[in-house]
Amino acid sequence: MASVTLRNIRKNYGAVEVIHGVNLDIPDGSFVVLLGPSGCGKSTLLRSIAGLETITSGDIEIGGRRVNDEHPKDRDIAMVFQNYALYAHMNVKDNMSFSLKLAKRPQSEIDEKTSWAAKILNLEPYMARFPRELSGGQRQRVAMGRAIVRNPSVFLFDEPLSNLDAKLRVQMRTEIKELHERLKTTTVYVTHDQIEAMTMADKIVILRDGIIEQEGTPLDVYDHPANLFVASFIGSPAMNLIKGTVSKGAVVAANGARLPLPPKDSRARDGQHVVYGIRPEDLELGKGFDIKLSVTEPTGPELHLYGDLGEEEVCAVLRSRAELKRGEMVGLAPRLDRVHLFDADTGKVL
Amino acid sequence: MELSRRWQLLRDVAAVLVTGIFMFPIFWWALTSIKPISAVFDKDRVVWFDFVPTLINYGVTLFGMSRSQLAIDDGLGMGVAGSSSYDSRQSILDSIIISVGSTAITMVVAVLAAYALSRMRFNGRDSFLNWVLGQRFMPPIAILVPMVTIYAGLGMRDNQNLVLGYVGIILIYALMNLPIALLLLKSFFDDVPQDVDQAAMIDGATRWQSFSKVVLPMVKGGVAAAAVLCFIFAWTEFLLSLFLTTQIRAIPVKIQTFVTSTGNEWGFITALGTAAIIPSFIFILLVQRHLVRGLTLGSLKE
Repeated sequence: MASVTLRNIRKNYGAVEVIHGVNLDIPDGSFVVLLGPSGCGKSTLLRSIAGLETITSGDIEIGGRRVNDEHPKDRDIAMVFQNYALYAHMNVKDNMSFSLKLAKRPQSEIDEKTSWAAKILNLEPYMARFPRELSGGQRQRVAMGRAIVRNPSVFLFDEPLSNLDAKLRVQMRTEIKELHERLKTTTVYVTHDQIEAMTMADKIVILRDGIIEQEGTPLDVYDHPANLFVASFIGSPAMNLIKGTVSKGAVVAANGARLPLPPKDSRARDGQHVVYGIRPEDLELGKGFDIKLSVTEPTGPELHLYGDLGEEEVCAVLRSRAELKRGEMVGLAPRLDRVHLFDADTGKVL
Repeated sequence: MELSRRWQLLRDVAAVLVTGIFMFPIFWWALTSIKPISAVFDKDRVVWFDFVPTLINYGVTLFGMSRSQLAIDDGLGMGVAGSSSYDSRQSILDSIIISVGSTAITMVVAVLAAYALSRMRFNGRDSFLNWVLGQRFMPPIAILVPMVTIYAGLGMRDNQNLVLGYVGIILIYALMNLPIALLLLKSFFDDVPQDVDQAAMIDGATRWQSFSKVVLPMVKGGVAAAAVLCFIFAWTEFLLSLFLTTQIRAIPVKIQTFVTSTGNEWGFITALGTAAIIPSFIFILLVQRHLVRGLTLGSLKE
């Protein structure tokens, strides 16, 4: 087990810099998720930790040891790839024991460790099968088995669930989480799926265009987004973000609607251009501002309302059921303690 | 898709027909090889099956029996021109040495080169394959005369040094085969995702181990296919062999000597030709087990 420290990591492809000085501490035993849209540099960062990419500048430390110039095999890490990357010509047992064989471990130890991993991952009946004879979830488990038999200091996961079907994804999510609870191995997990990030992480690191936008616990990031990007990226349906100008305890939207602020709000001064952020579940029917209803989506436990506030679309998620018609004007009251304000120019939270 | 019975029947008939078209020359070749001369040269009709089969042609070409003796034994007793050797045992051996040798060299070089072209970054990598392929744009006949002169200058003609003669012809076949084998193998290597190499490296493999224990076994179907192509090329090549050798007589060159001023020895030609199919056939049987596409199946998510 080991902590991972990234210091001022930069990565260039030719003249293009794709990682712009990333600093990150990953404590020993934690489960850290790197989250971001595709092309944000999260996979590059993970592959740099693995040693599959060389970094242009900066330092990578694993367990306090600088590993910049070390070969992947000497970094004491294990990685689960997006496409599993199983050895197609080897059966499950050989796939899992490959690293131990290369390390010339005694046969008794190889048998012991592979059967231990197989037991944890419920792969015992499939040890003699080839990858092509396994289902997607089983292949995923073989890839994890290959990683855990070596008892590495750090696990690296590169979007391991992205191609599984929805049901299996939820199941494997739980399994990976359980595995981490059990082994307590430091884990770095890359995904673009915010639900995965929210449910699995001890710490979420949100990346965009090669810089860290925010890091923190899942709820911290959800409740206190540091900027517009994080606010819109985390949460589904996404946070409503309405442009306006502060005036006498409210934000005046483009169509003149007054979006209420908490009493004595000192985050912005009158006349300042801001973005008013409110999560859909923090809106309820009541006296606040009116939207013209365009779509209602009953999901069962919730009712999703979509409507127009001038040019802006607003979404509200209601726990109650209501008989509402398309085209109707509906009054929505925001929970005032949950109102976020962002600077319209910089995008930063106020 | 459920095919109607009529379509199934039509499909089967078409399959038999197409196979028949390809198989017929081989069948006719084999049939001629066991015909007596009288059946081969019947100017009034085409002889199908009403002849007394004979193994005389095989006896002469494959077992070195005396043709005149056999002819007399068979009661054919026709005039036999020259006892110029129809014994082709040495030719078969020559062909095997040359084909196996050149295929082996080609495969070793092509597998390593294809891996490098697929996996390593170096200047000129992208144009490299085109340059190599460019070699094949030129018809072999264009380089024949220079090659003969070069080989003679280097003392590599078989009448100068027999061993170097073999080496020479093996080398030129390997060179002819290399571009095709390289092109084919590179595409097979490209089909194996780099993640697999990287997974192996993280598992502790060196570059060589990830190549030999992981990537190479995953492309063995492609290696087998390339080896078959190289072998068949070397086995059937005529022109280079004819010009570059005088003592070494590969089967195609040997067969050509059966076309003589006193007539074409169709019996010997077909007997040796039929026999020559067999080693290729055995070779293909040996590797066809590996000639299965989709060997990487299961390595990846679909």
